[in-house]
Amino acid sequence: MQKEGGTEMMTRRKVAIIAICLVLLSSMMAGCIEQKPQEHASIATQEDQVLTIGYAGDLKLSGDPSKISRSIPKFAVLERLLEYDVEKDEFVPSLAESWDIKDGGKTIVFHLKRGIKFSDGTTMDASAVKFTYDLLHIKNPDLAPESSEIIDDYTIAFHFSEGSILNLARLQDVHGLGVMSPNSVDPPGDINGTLNTLIGTGPFKVVEYKKDQYGVFEPNPYWYERMGLTPKLKKLVVKTIPDEDTRVMALRSGDVDVLIDEYHGGYDYTPRNQLNGLVKDGFKVYTKKLPFTWELILNYRKEPFSDIRLRKAVAYAVNRDEIVNIFGGWVRPADTGIFPPEAPGIKRANIKYEYNPEKARAILRELGKEGMTVDMIVDKSQGDQILVAQLLQQQLKDIGINLNLEVLERGAYREKRNSGDYDMMIYYFGGSERCFYMRIFWRFLPPDKPYKYMKPEVVKAAQGIVKEFDKSKREQKFIELYRAFYDTMGVVPLYHEVVVVAANPKVEGILFEHSEPRFYAVSIK
Amino acid sequence: MQYYVFKRIIQVIPTIIGVSFLAFSLLYLFPGDPAEFILKSGGIEQPTPEMIENCRIMLGLDKPLPIQYFNWMLKILRGDFGTSWVSGEPVINEILYRFPASAELFLASFSIAVIFSFVLGIIAAIYRDRYVDHACRIWSLLGISIPNFWLGLMFIWLFAVYLHWLPSFGYGTLNHAVLPVLTWAISIMAVKSRFIRASILEELNQAYIITAKAKGLPGRLIIFRHALRNALIPIITFMSLSVHHLIMGAVMIEVVFAWPGVGSFFVESVFIRDFPVVQAFVLLSAVTFALTNLTVDLCYALIDPRIKYERGIKR
Repeated sequence: MQKEGGTEMMTRRKVAIIAICLVLLSSMMAGCIEQKPQEHASIATQEDQVLTIGYAGDLKLSGDPSKISRSIPKFAVLERLLEYDVEKDEFVPSLAESWDIKDGGKTIVFHLKRGIKFSDGTTMDASAVKFTYDLLHIKNPDLAPESSEIIDDYTIAFHFSEGSILNLARLQDVHGLGVMSPNSVDPPGDINGTLNTLIGTGPFKVVEYKKDQYGVFEPNPYWYERMGLTPKLKKLVVKTIPDEDTRVMALRSGDVDVLIDEYHGGYDYTPRNQLNGLVKDGFKVYTKKLPFTWELILNYRKEPFSDIRLRKAVAYAVNRDEIVNIFGGWVRPADTGIFPPEAPGIKRANIKYEYNPEKARAILRELGKEGMTVDMIVDKSQGDQILVAQLLQQQLKDIGINLNLEVLERGAYREKRNSGDYDMMIYYFGGSERCFYMRIFWRFLPPDKPYKYMKPEVVKAAQGIVKEFDKSKREQKFIELYRAFYDTMGVVPLYHEVVVVAANPKVEGILFEHSEPRFYAVSIK
Repeated sequence: MQYYVFKRIIQVIPTIIGVSFLAFSLLYLFPGDPAEFILKSGGIEQPTPEMIENCRIMLGLDKPLPIQYFNWMLKILRGDFGTSWVSGEPVINEILYRFPASAELFLASFSIAVIFSFVLGIIAAIYRDRYVDHACRIWSLLGISIPNFWLGLMFIWLFAVYLHWLPSFGYGTLNHAVLPVLTWAISIMAVKSRFIRASILEELNQAYIITAKAKGLPGRLIIFRHALRNALIPIITFMSLSVHHLIMGAVMIEVVFAWPGVGSFFVESVFIRDFPVVQAFVLLSAVTFALTNLTVDLCYALIDPRIKYERGIKR
């Protein structure tokens, strides 16, 4: 009996050992398999050119028209009267062919291009423009004129309370709206109406939308005719995928062809530290610079950073090359100013934020602050910011400052930020090209808020910028702004962001305009 | 029985009132001016004092708190949970739009989990301390220990990226449902199967079971006719604790698999402080719990004929 029991035990043991070995072997094999982009049926065949885009958020193509997503709806369905080119620091015509600035900028008269049609075949004219901005005035007055006046079918005057370059900026800001047809809402033409189908003049039109799931777009023939182009895509499908890792795997599996970022404040990006892996596995990664810089904000309004010497010590401790490395080299070190080199006046300002830990330690010794502890609030929903915060914790520890990280959920982070209840935080200046000027308004100009940077020298320079319509004089004001930031050192620039689009190699023709990806010329091999 | 049901429903009312007061108070428990908060949630970066004051008057926030609460409750009783500050759409519409997806996910996952929990729990109890019991224990431990979001991502990698058998995300077809249902069912059954095993083992140690064995009853009859039936009451109570997922959804599963349910919507609303939505969820959860408890109590009478709910007497 014992012998039989012993044999049974031996058999069980052998089975267990074999099972464990099989599991280990299959794990090893799985690790060795390369993740090549799939030549998969989900990629369009020659007969059916359908591009599928993975995007983090919902497209919001229902309900309040002012809340539509900043992505495809705003830059592929709608167009604006004008656009902004950050490298030239110029506003360029788009749906408007020209404009006249009157009364010190308080009135701007736009002359619209003729013959432009919305995707439903109706004409884009002054009444459609008035409808759009009257609607926006109710929903978000910062981004619309105080009032508008139709002069004729293709001429419209906007009136503002103050004369400022911001009056041009707000009309094309990413938070605002492009020109949409009054037929977009229900009832048609009602500025309090709800969004029915978004109708614009852009390269794509909305065909179908399911909240929290997907949106389907088709080429707008009127736009292609106007541009003298032929669409290669039959459809553009944008699918909502909230989780960043799932988005990357959806690209790898072939369920989507392209991934795009959300253009606001670091949320819902394609993880920067996965980009090198995608490139290695044959995917294409497109990047575009934009005037968006992550900054280390030191709360100068209270102790301990009310002392400029301490702020300078922290500035000397930041090693930007290490920050760039944690993102695999995909971002740029911000050591020449609060905006990237392509922003107006940065090169001429000739500023250098120096990395010098020895100087930092010397300042702390002189102040007797070695070993001090400060708190930094970090937004838990921004994975990139957690990485940067952890690196900064290390860098500051090297010079003798203990950094206590408070990783907070998004709402709690915003409450602390907005109330000024922090010593340090990571925040951004600038944004997409569209946002560039309005961010100056929201960050550096009155009314004073705890999360704004309102040192008098900075405010004076910012006010000078927005009042100046002459480009060369404005550049001088920008230089004064950058120097004011450097001299007050309440902000330590960390790195400049990029827009990222990751794509299956079969996708061709992705372009960038005004920091946004464009898909009107895309085809699928 | 009808009297018992009526009495229980009446007893629930004070609970619901208490929860409603808590839900209403959420807006005022957070720092800052609610009107300014509402405007910023709606996308206005810098509301002016005039805008804030107009908003306050428009939403009745200038009235005394008891009046605000009373008006709010009147609307709730009419089914009006207010408007989402973020989307601008009625809260009840937002919830009802997403509810079917969550219900599908929950019912499929829960059904599979319950079936397999019983199977695993009974087998583990019957073959206690044997090889099969150890295997069930390891399976349960793994199911409890592994976070379901991680498990979900691993399933996506294996079945979508590596094998290309299933889609990596989305909603709408049976193929889309396989991975999220499997992921959630595993984590539910891991916990439930251990409880079922423990409940059945407790019954198997009772004197009446020993008597049944002594009488020569077959094992299957002892387990299913006697032990399991007596173990059902605590099992059903334990199972009912999961029903709140019907309302709250499964946040991690929905986010990882891009499943358009109520769970991720609720959590997003908490993060962005969309208070009307949060208030609605708090209330609906409370009502769901109350109704679930009542249903479970009534089920006891069906399972155990010794339990009778008669006027003035509970036996």
